[in-house]
Amino acid sequence: MDILIFGTISASVLLLSSIGFALILKTDGFINVAHGQMLLLGAYIALYLIDLGAGFILSAILASTACGLVGILLYRFIFQPVKRQGTLVLLFTSVGVAYIINGFVGFVAGLRMLAFDLPPVRAIRIGGVPFMTPYELAITVAALLSALGIHLFLNHTWSGKSMRAVSDNESLARLRGFDPKRTSDIVWFVGSALGGLAGVFLGALGSLHLQMGWQQMVIILAVAVLGGLGSIYGVMLAALVLAFGTELALTVVSSSYRTGIAFFIIIIVLLIRPGGLQSLWGGGVARAH
Amino acid sequence: MEGLILFAVSLLSLGAIYTILCLALNLEAGTGPLWDLGIVSFFGVGAYAYTLVTAPPAAAYQGYILGLGLPMWMGLVAAGLAGAIVAWLIGLPTLRLKREYFLITTLAFAEAIRQIYVNEEWLTNGVAGIYGIAQPFKQAVASANYGYLLLAIFLVGLTVVALLVHRLTASAFGRTLKALRENEPLAMTAGIDPRRYSMTVFVIAGLFSGIAGAFYIWYATLIVPTLFTSDITFFIWTAVIIGGLGSMRGALLGGFIFILLHDLLRFVQVSADAAVALTSLRTAFIGVVLVLILRFRPNGLFPEKPVKNLLPDMLKEASNA
Repeated sequence: MDILIFGTISASVLLLSSIGFALILKTDGFINVAHGQMLLLGAYIALYLIDLGAGFILSAILASTACGLVGILLYRFIFQPVKRQGTLVLLFTSVGVAYIINGFVGFVAGLRMLAFDLPPVRAIRIGGVPFMTPYELAITVAALLSALGIHLFLNHTWSGKSMRAVSDNESLARLRGFDPKRTSDIVWFVGSALGGLAGVFLGALGSLHLQMGWQQMVIILAVAVLGGLGSIYGVMLAALVLAFGTELALTVVSSSYRTGIAFFIIIIVLLIRPGGLQSLWGGGVARAH
Repeated sequence: MEGLILFAVSLLSLGAIYTILCLALNLEAGTGPLWDLGIVSFFGVGAYAYTLVTAPPAAAYQGYILGLGLPMWMGLVAAGLAGAIVAWLIGLPTLRLKREYFLITTLAFAEAIRQIYVNEEWLTNGVAGIYGIAQPFKQAVASANYGYLLLAIFLVGLTVVALLVHRLTASAFGRTLKALRENEPLAMTAGIDPRRYSMTVFVIAGLFSGIAGAFYIWYATLIVPTLFTSDITFFIWTAVIIGGLGSMRGALLGGFIFILLHDLLRFVQVSADAAVALTSLRTAFIGVVLVLILRFRPNGLFPEKPVKNLLPDMLKEASNA
């Protein structure tokens, strides 16, 4: 039962952190290492707002919106101009951006470990058994809603369709009247906002420190590879597999190997299916690197 | 003034060690086709191998294996071998992966290996680390001048590695790697086996990085797991990219330029609070430099020059012969 609850919570955080990364990877085709720092930024903006006296929900919404706007700015002024230089330049530009955000947050907030000043809450009991705290429930609900929202967005809205079109073939999409720049704006806003929200939740579950962006980034990469790079549904499945796999494995392995287990799972999956989980339903076959 | 010179010597020593790593990375990722985000694995394994082979047996309060107390040159051999063997082991499953997958999987291995250093205390003495590791030729000069000697040793090592890498790059092996980098299917039609050549260059990079790891132990005289985080990998990549990926000159100078950018601010004497802020600013500063260089000089400060084979000249030479 505990495994089920912990697994659900960590799957939710993983899902929220990784979906934004996967969206950006799908549309713009590069590994955005700065995404981890979006989590850091979101968490610290929320911390600042909560200290000012804003409520948790309001702070979370404002922080994630702010991250979304930063995302658009980053895309417009930093990533879009170097886009034609290829994957490696984009990847290391994002490493540079990650250093900048990390350094900026560190400069303002300092190196100390911090925590949200939230009122302590009790776990909701179902039939006398402790279930989840309201915060954890909120995270799970937010993750489910965003997964559902992304699904509806991709399949039933003009922007979602244009996003898929642009990621499949940018010049053809432009020819058919989709505007790749506008599409990317939306993707960067949604992706970064989800990242910021994940950061706020991560902060609410534990503590805030400058390394959290890097640490979470490594796990996001794990989820993305496991799902298959650029596959949104693959990432959703991978978050579940990784979270429950880790919780299960932790019953036999020492908990200091938490991220090690995640990587062990990826290595096994890649050995069997080098395209990640998406290849289970035939995705990623045509993707040429 | 004395302090300034000592600081410069220490900076150059660290720069020389990083530059060896830059050369190794440039060989596999610049000349060759392998985008390796796990180069710190070989560096760390080399450092631990050197320490475990040369250190005296573990005291009662410590826990690490071996502690053979062997001479230093055997430690160096062990470090290079360990780096190469780990590269081979990691390469076996990962080399069949495509670029981005390879990138992330090597990063995954580096993180997993670091967790082994932290958790397996019987092997490495865990987070407590091992201190007071001996340095080479310590008695040969007065201790005030020892920094110069160490720097000289590192520079000799760097020169040897640089010459080897230069010869490798200019050889048929180097041209094969470039062919794989540019167009793998085309290279395969020319009869090049990608797995074989990728593995060879991966193992060579592991060998050089392992030796750099042993040098690093001479520099630091201690070993703890936090020395080998993936930060090192990103630093080395940043240095190579600043210099110019694929260019020998870029890798040689990139390492030193990076160290200069990274550690110059360390010399500024400030209060503890300001020091924290300064560390953060330094990180942001490196980020800005990286973003600007990639924006305005995407091929680095010293871009790779295309190799020219002047066929008419070669024909003339051949006919005159």
